[in-house]
Amino acid sequence: MHGFANPTRFLAIARPVTPWLAAAGVLLAGYGLYAGLFLSPPDYLQGETVRILYVHVPAAWLGMGGWTGIAVASLAQIVWRHPLAGVAARAVAVPGALFTALCLLTGSLWGRPAWGTWWQWDGRMTSMLVLLFLYFGYIALANAGDERSGVSRATAIFGLVGAVNIPIINRSVVWWNSLHQPASITLGGSKIDAAILYPLVFSALGFTLIFAAIVLMRMRALLARAKVEARLRRMAAA
Amino acid sequence: MNPWPFVIAAYAVTIGGTAAAFIWAWLAMRAAEKAAAGLRRER
Amino acid sequence: MKAKHQRLVLVLLVVAAMIGAALLAMSALRDQAAYFYSPADIARLGGVPPGQAMRLGGMVADKSIVHEADGVTIRFTVTDGGATVLVRYKGIVPDLFKENSGVVADGRFGTDGVFVADTILAKHDERYMPPQLAGAEHKTETLAR
Repeated sequence: MHGFANPTRFLAIARPVTPWLAAAGVLLAGYGLYAGLFLSPPDYLQGETVRILYVHVPAAWLGMGGWTGIAVASLAQIVWRHPLAGVAARAVAVPGALFTALCLLTGSLWGRPAWGTWWQWDGRMTSMLVLLFLYFGYIALANAGDERSGVSRATAIFGLVGAVNIPIINRSVVWWNSLHQPASITLGGSKIDAAILYPLVFSALGFTLIFAAIVLMRMRALLARAKVEARLRRMAAA
Repeated sequence: MNPWPFVIAAYAVTIGGTAAAFIWAWLAMRAAEKAAAGLRRER
Repeated sequence: MKAKHQRLVLVLLVVAAMIGAALLAMSALRDQAAYFYSPADIARLGGVPPGQAMRLGGMVADKSIVHEADGVTIRFTVTDGGATVLVRYKGIVPDLFKENSGVVADGRFGTDGVFVADTILAKHDERYMPPQLAGAEHKTETLAR
């Protein structure tokens, strides 16, 4: 892991990888969304409304996966003082917040035709909204610090503590009676028929690669800005 | 209830949001890396 | 002990304490944070006083939806396998409101023990499949019966 500790070494890998991640992500997600709109069958109960699945589930996965990434990076920063961990966590925060917001929006657009409501304060929806506010708090904290590219120790602790919400979101439909149905895909298998499931595999994988490309680009921007700032500071001192 | 307006709106916000985040990240990266490369040339 | 290991142990302790606290809080919230009450919950509470606003949830019992003479009022039974509650509702129901499917109703009990709903939401389960497959499943069920 410390092999990537050197920003130069990290950039030597990140630079060529970024366009490939982006291209593969756009192709996979594009095919997944196309198949989800035009090739897969409607659902026996919900009809065509089920197609929102192909954007809602990747958004939920990336919103929650994003914070899990922030938590792991925060741990690496606090325990091992990994120099790139703070940069990575900071780069994840904005796309993580975006996909959490997209999950809430697409969920609302799904809830109206399926359940008959745009919004209800049930466990799943409320805990997901809490995640969005945690992201806002994290972004504000990260931008308030005077770190050149990473985040302060306090911000990293916030990233770690906020991860408590992730299992709560996951379990919310089990612990409490909720309007949202339980998970369709678990370790035990999938309750989604293969004909409806396969576009989701493509779109989830595709959006994940796009997410990774966005994170790499944001990391590169943070590192480049830190370099300029360090140079200006040296020039001012000289 | 006609489901298509809801399906199309959900796809539109997701594609639009992702594209905006991607383009923003790319423009910011390009500007920052250009500035950093400029430093090297000045030296 | 190296400083690195000290930090690791400290962080792990903090994380474990946090998860413990969160679990305690969540189990304490279990009843309060419930989005709806099932017929069994209501039976366990020994009934709910008439007129008190509450949210009822469960499955719409098979062949229980009855349309009243006025054409807009329906009656149906909400069940959770054991207990049942009779519900009356006047208005338009969501497309997914069906027998043998989930329902969440806001309203209050009348003095006659019937739950009068103001709003009806449909709750679906986690299974998704094409219509042909659902039809085939239904057919085998009917054949088995």
